[in-house]
Amino acid sequence: MKLLATVLSLAALAVPAEAASAKPSSTDWWSLKPLVRPAVPPIGNQQSATGNPIDAFILAKLREQKLTPAPSADRGTLIRRLTFDLHGLPPSPEEVDQFEQDAAPQAYERLVERLLASPRYGERWARHWLDVVHYGESNGFGMDRPRLQAWPYRDYVIAALNADKPYARFVHEQLAADAMFPEDASLVPALGFAAAGPFNQSALVEQVDGTDCKRMALNLDRDDMVASTASTFLSLTVHCARCHEHKFDPISQQDYYRLQAVFAGVGRAERTFDADPQVRVRRTGLRGLIADLEKNPDAHPPTAAERGSLATAQRAWEKSLAAQAANWTPLSIEQVTSTNSTTTFTKLDDGSWLATGTAADKDVYTVRARVTLPAITALRLEVLPDDRLPARGPGRQDNGNLHLSEIRVSLAGTNVTEKPKPIALRNASADFNQAGWSIERALDGKPETAWGIHPQVGKPHHAVFELAQPSAVTNGVTLIVQLDQLHGQRHLIGRFRLSATDKPQPVRAPTLPVELLAKLARPDAERTEAERKQLFDLHRLVYLREQLAQLPAEQRVWAIAADFAPLRNYKPTKEPPPIAVLHRGDIKQPLATVGPGALAVVGTLPAEFALPNAQDEAARRAALARWITAPENMLTWRSIVNRVWHWHFGRGLVDTPNDFGRMGSLPTHPELLDWLAVEFRDSGGSLKQLHKLIVSSATYRQKSSIQSSVSSVQTGRSPAPASLTEHWKLNTEYFQRAAATDASNAYLWRMNRPRLDAEAFRDALLAASGKLDLTMGGPSAMQFKFDDPNKEVAPRVDYAAFDPDNPASYRRSVYRFLFRNLNDPLLEALDAVDPSLSTPIRNSTITPLQALSLWNNRFVLRQCEHLAARVEREATGLEAQITRAFRLLCTRAPSREEMALLTEHAHQHGLAHACRVMVNLNDFLFVN
Amino acid sequence: MSARLPRSRREFLWQSGGGLGGLALASLLASEQSAAGGVTAPNSHSAFRTPHFPARAKRVVQLFMAGAASHLDLFDFKPELVKRDGQPSDFGEHVEAFQDGLGPWKKPVWEFRPYGQSGKMLSDAVADLGHVADELAFIHNVVGKTGVHSQATLLQATGFNLPGFPGMGSWVSYGLGTENENLPTFVVLPDHRGLASNGVKNWDAAFLPQQHSGTVIYPGSETPIADLFPHKKGEFVTRDSEAAAHAMMAKLNLAHATARAGDDRLESRIRSYELAARMQLAAPEALDLSKEPDYLLRSYGIDNSRKEWPKEINAEEEADIFGRKCLVARRLLERGVRFVQIWSGNDNGFPRRNWDSHEDIERDHGPLARGMARGASALIQDLKQRGLLDDTIILWTTEFGRMPSTQGGKGRDHNPFVFTNWLCGGGIKRGVTHGESDQWGYKPLNRNAPTTCYDIHATMLHLLGIHHEHLTFRHNGIDRRLTDVHGDIIKEILA
Repeated sequence: MKLLATVLSLAALAVPAEAASAKPSSTDWWSLKPLVRPAVPPIGNQQSATGNPIDAFILAKLREQKLTPAPSADRGTLIRRLTFDLHGLPPSPEEVDQFEQDAAPQAYERLVERLLASPRYGERWARHWLDVVHYGESNGFGMDRPRLQAWPYRDYVIAALNADKPYARFVHEQLAADAMFPEDASLVPALGFAAAGPFNQSALVEQVDGTDCKRMALNLDRDDMVASTASTFLSLTVHCARCHEHKFDPISQQDYYRLQAVFAGVGRAERTFDADPQVRVRRTGLRGLIADLEKNPDAHPPTAAERGSLATAQRAWEKSLAAQAANWTPLSIEQVTSTNSTTTFTKLDDGSWLATGTAADKDVYTVRARVTLPAITALRLEVLPDDRLPARGPGRQDNGNLHLSEIRVSLAGTNVTEKPKPIALRNASADFNQAGWSIERALDGKPETAWGIHPQVGKPHHAVFELAQPSAVTNGVTLIVQLDQLHGQRHLIGRFRLSATDKPQPVRAPTLPVELLAKLARPDAERTEAERKQLFDLHRLVYLREQLAQLPAEQRVWAIAADFAPLRNYKPTKEPPPIAVLHRGDIKQPLATVGPGALAVVGTLPAEFALPNAQDEAARRAALARWITAPENMLTWRSIVNRVWHWHFGRGLVDTPNDFGRMGSLPTHPELLDWLAVEFRDSGGSLKQLHKLIVSSATYRQKSSIQSSVSSVQTGRSPAPASLTEHWKLNTEYFQRAAATDASNAYLWRMNRPRLDAEAFRDALLAASGKLDLTMGGPSAMQFKFDDPNKEVAPRVDYAAFDPDNPASYRRSVYRFLFRNLNDPLLEALDAVDPSLSTPIRNSTITPLQALSLWNNRFVLRQCEHLAARVEREATGLEAQITRAFRLLCTRAPSREEMALLTEHAHQHGLAHACRVMVNLNDFLFVN
Repeated sequence: MSARLPRSRREFLWQSGGGLGGLALASLLASEQSAAGGVTAPNSHSAFRTPHFPARAKRVVQLFMAGAASHLDLFDFKPELVKRDGQPSDFGEHVEAFQDGLGPWKKPVWEFRPYGQSGKMLSDAVADLGHVADELAFIHNVVGKTGVHSQATLLQATGFNLPGFPGMGSWVSYGLGTENENLPTFVVLPDHRGLASNGVKNWDAAFLPQQHSGTVIYPGSETPIADLFPHKKGEFVTRDSEAAAHAMMAKLNLAHATARAGDDRLESRIRSYELAARMQLAAPEALDLSKEPDYLLRSYGIDNSRKEWPKEINAEEEADIFGRKCLVARRLLERGVRFVQIWSGNDNGFPRRNWDSHEDIERDHGPLARGMARGASALIQDLKQRGLLDDTIILWTTEFGRMPSTQGGKGRDHNPFVFTNWLCGGGIKRGVTHGESDQWGYKPLNRNAPTTCYDIHATMLHLLGIHHEHLTFRHNGIDRRLTDVHGDIIKEILA
C-alpha cells in the first residue's frame, strides 16, 4: 500500500513538457483565428436521430476514432439528468410520472421548454457564472468584512439569465451599465461584476496614499479586475503579463497595462442607486438644492408658491419643537471617578467635566450627583468638544470618537451598607448616531455594542434617556451614573455634562443644535429680522431634508464606482490616474504610461481605444465592453459557448475554459466549437436557444454507461463480483475498446456521469425532505451562527451551532451568505468554490472527510428526519414510504432487493435512519 | 451537469488522494497504462518513477506565530540597541512605518544569554529553547513584502500575498501523498481563541483537490474534527444503526457500481466510507493524551491539575495551550501525518492574544513566548528521543518582524524588512546561524542577499525529496508552484 501511495503521488511531480516550446511570434493559434462558420459534416446514412447538427460533428469524430454513440437513455434517466442540469434540483416523482407517460412525440422538447421557463433555471446557472467571476460576500484578506450589499449583483445575474438577456447585452451591462444605459438605473447592480473579488481592506483603507504598501495593493486590486474580465469573457490569462511579457501567449505587458488603465478610475464600494427613474430625478434635484443652500442660503430664492408652503410647514415645525422642548437642569455633580488611575476629571465653568491624563483602552466613568428637581422624567448626556481633546473631541480616541457601551443609573443608598438601587432607562435618543453605532446600543445590555458619533467629531452631541419609572427619583436623592466605555482603543468620552428634566414623557433628543433651540423658544414678534431669516433658512433645509428622507430608501450594491463615499484613506479619484507599464511588475520601476485599450492579439480589432475624452472613466469601460462583444472578437464567442458546453457535459470542447492560450488544451472538436460560436453570435446570443440546441441533441441524450450485465441486487442472483477489476472483464469487447481509445470520454461515445456538486446536493436534500424554500432573491441567508456582526476585524461564525430548522437554512444554496475566509464545512467537503480566484471548473473529489460530512453533518441528519416525516405523511405502509423516499432522492423506484434491505433496516432502526442510508447512496450522489 | 469529470483516470486517482482508491484502482491504473501507452501529456508521471532526490525528511511541523513575533526580543540579539536604548532612532534613510513606529530605539525587553556549544544568544523569554539551541538553524535575514498582516500571513503560509493559493502543507500532501490513510495528511491546530488573519485561507487546498486541504483539529474539544461523529442532535442514530447501515450501504453501493462498469469513482466512494470509519477509530486514539506519562506532560508545560486560569494572559496557561498542541503533533507525526501546522495567537482583536504587540511587548510577548518555547523545546527533545527528529523538519515562522524603535510607548511597529525563522530536524544543520540582520535588526546586513520564504520553502521541499520547480499544478493556464517563480535552496543550513 505504501508503494502504491508513492507511485500515485509522484504523478504530481510532472514537468510540463510542452511548456518548453517557444513563444509564438504571431497570432497563429487556433483560438485567435477569425470565426468562420464551418460546414456541417456529411454523415451519410448514419444520420442523427434528431437531425441536430451537433450530432453530425460528434459522429464525424467518433467515426474517426472507430467509436459509436451510446443509445438514448430511458426517460427516467433523462428527466433526472435534465432537471439537475437546468435546475440543480431533482425532478419530483409526479413530474417523472408525467414525463414517462407523455406519449406525445414532442414530450422531450416540452420538458426542456418547461425547465428553461422556470426561475429555477436562472438560480442554477447563475451559480455557474458566480463561480467564474469569483463572487464572494466578504472582503477576504485579514479583515474579511461582510459585504452585506453584494447580493443585488447575484440577483441581477439570476434575473438576466431568466430573462434570456442577449449575451452581448449581458457583457455590456456588467462592465459598463452606467455608461451604456444611463437611463436605466435598475441595471447598476450589474456593475458588481468587476468588484466581486477580494478587497485588501487593511492595505487600501488603512494605508495612506503614496506608500509602497498602498500602491502595491492598488496595482493588485486592478489586477484582480483585469484578470477577472479577461478570464471570464475572453478565456485568456492576461495577468501573466503583469510582471513580464506573457511567456506562452502573444500578450505584451503594454496590452496588460492598457487593460489596467480601463479600470484605473474605479474603486470598489457600496454604490447607491434608484431603480425608479422618478425617484432618481427627485432625489438628484433635492440633493443639489440642499447642497447649494448649505453653501449659500440665497442660492435659490423660493418661488411665491414655495414660500406659502414653507411658511405653513415652518409654523407646524416650530409648534412641534415647542411641544418637544424640555427644560434641562444640570445635575449637581459631587464626584466623577474613572476605573483607570491615570485619568482625572476637572469641572469646567459651564458645569461640564473634562477628562485629562493618559486614556486607557477602556474605562468606566462613575458620576455621583444630587437631584434638585421634584421628579425626574429623563436624563440628558451631552458630549462636548474641547481644544484639549484629539481632533477637538468630544471623544479621546485619536479621531475624536467615543463609544458609550452602556449607561447605567442607580439610586445611592442612604447609608454605607445599603446597596444602590438600579433605575431602568428606556427610549434612548440622540441628535446623531454613527452608522452601526446608534444610541439604543447604549441600553441593550451588551458591552460589545455602543453609541458613537463618528464622523461628526469636533461638535457637541447629546443623548436623552427616559426613566422607566419617573416617580422613583425625587428631590434630594443621590444618583450614581455609570458610563461604560468598553469597546477599547481609547474610545472614551473627553468632556461631558449631565442634566435632568421633569417634563412629562415622551422626552426625546432634538436633532437641532442646542443654541438654536433657544432662539426658537422666543415668539416670532420678539425675533429680530436677522433671526427670522436665520430660522427661515434653517427650516427650509430641514424641510427639504425631510422631503428627501421621505423618498423610498436608496438601493445599494457592492460594485465598481468612480464616485463613492470615502472610507478613511480609500477615496475616489477625480479622474483616472495615469497607468504605467511596470518593469517586472514592480511599482518602483515604472516605464512608459499607457492609455486605455485592449489586446493587440485580437488582430481583427484595434487595440487602442479612440475616445473623444480619454479621461472619461466610464467611456473606457464602455469601449472595452464593445470591443469584447464585437462580432469580430473570436475569443468572446468561443469562450461562452465552450463554457455552456462544459456545464452541460462536465467537460468543455476545450477543457480549460479559462485558458484558450498555449498553456490551455486544444479543442477536441474545433469545427463544432466554431459552428456553435457563430450560430450563437449570429442568432442573437440567446443562451436559452443554445441550451435547447445542446440538450436536444442525441449526443446529450446518450446513456452514461454500457450496462452489459444487470446487478445482482436488482435480479437477486449470486453476489456481485469481488471488484470492479474483475467485472471489467465481463464487458463487451466494444466497451473495452472504447474505454481504451477514449478513457476520459473526450469524444462523447457516452454521456458523462457527474457527482452532485455542493449546492445541488444541499438543494436536492431539501427538495426531498420537503423543506426547500423557493423564495427568490434578497439579502443572503446566513446559514451559520453569527454573534458579532459589528466586529471590525475577522468576524467569527459557527456553522455547527446553526439550527438546521432556522428558516434561513431552507433557502436554495445560491442564496447562502458566502464568507471568503469561513467556509461551510459540509459544502467545502463537496468542493464548493473558494471565491478568491476564478473557478471555471469545479473539482469533484471523493474523500473520507466528505464521507464523514455526508454521514454525520447536523444539517444532513436533520433533513433525514424531515424526509422520514414527510413520507410518513404522504404514504401508507413502510414499503410505500421507502419507495417514496427513494424516488424523491434517486428518481427511480427501488428494486425488490433494495426494498427488502431498506425495509428491514427501517424496521430495526427507524425510517429516518433508512433515509440516512439513502441520502448516502451513489444512486443519489451521481446523475446518470 | 456541472460537476467536473476527471480529465483522465490518472487525474482521478490524484483527486481521490494517494492510495485512497486502493489496490483495485492500482491494478486499473496499471492496465490503463499498458493499454493506452503514454497518454495525457501534461501530468504524465512516467519521467518520475523515483523522487527527485533522496529524501532527508518525511514530515513537517510548522510553528506559526500570528500577529508577527519580534525577532529582536526573542532570537536576534542586538547589543547596539542595548547601548542606544531610549535615544532618538535614526535609520539613515526614509522608513515607511506601518503605524507610527519610528520612536526612540528600544533595547530587547529581556536579557540575552548564550546557550549550548554554539553559544547562541537567546532571550530569557525563550530560555527553554536553550536546551535545544544546538539543534537549531537560525536565519536572521528573512524579508517579507508588506507589513499588512493578511498579506504577510498568506505569503509565509502559501507563498503568495494574495488569497487563492494552496498552503504549504497542501503542496506537501499533494506531492508526497499520505503515510496513513486513517488520518488526514495535513493537520492544522489553530489557536483555540480564534483563527489568524485570513482564516482558513492559510491552509486551504485552493485549486488543489480538496483532500489536500488542512484538516482543522481542536484537541480536547467536544468535536475535535468537524463531523467525525454523528451530530449529537441526531438522536435517531445509535451504535447499532450505525454498524448495520455501513454494511448495507456498502452492499447497495457495490451493486450500483457493478451495474455501471468503468466508473472508478463509484467504488472509491464505497471505500471512502471504510476509511471514514477507520478515521473514527484512529483520530480519537491519536488525540488522547491520557496515557502519556506525567513527567512528559510536565515537560510540555501541560498542567492537568488546573481547572481554571486567571483572566489575564499568563505564561503557565500559554504553556499548557501550546504544549498540548505540540504533544498532539508528536502523536500525529508518529501515526503518519505528514504535515502539522500549529498556530500561536488569534487575529487582531483586543485584549491581545497574539504577537502584534504595538502597545506592550512585555505584556503579550512574555507569556506567549514562554509558552511557545516550553512546548517547542519539549517537542524537539521528545522527537529526538524517539528517533523521529532525524526525518521531521520543524519550522518556526511568523508574519514579519518588529521595529527596533518604539511607537512612543512600550510596543513596536511592524517590520517586514527583516525577521527571523528557525528550522531544525531532518537534514538541517545543527546549531548554526545563517544570514544576519544589520546592527539595528532593521534590514538584512547584506541587503543584496536576503532570505525569502521561497528559499525556505524550496529548502524544505528539497529535504522532502522534491524539486520545488517541479511540484506544479496547472490552474487557469499557469503551472502554479509553492515557490511561484523564485526560490533558492539554502545550502548553508543543510546538514
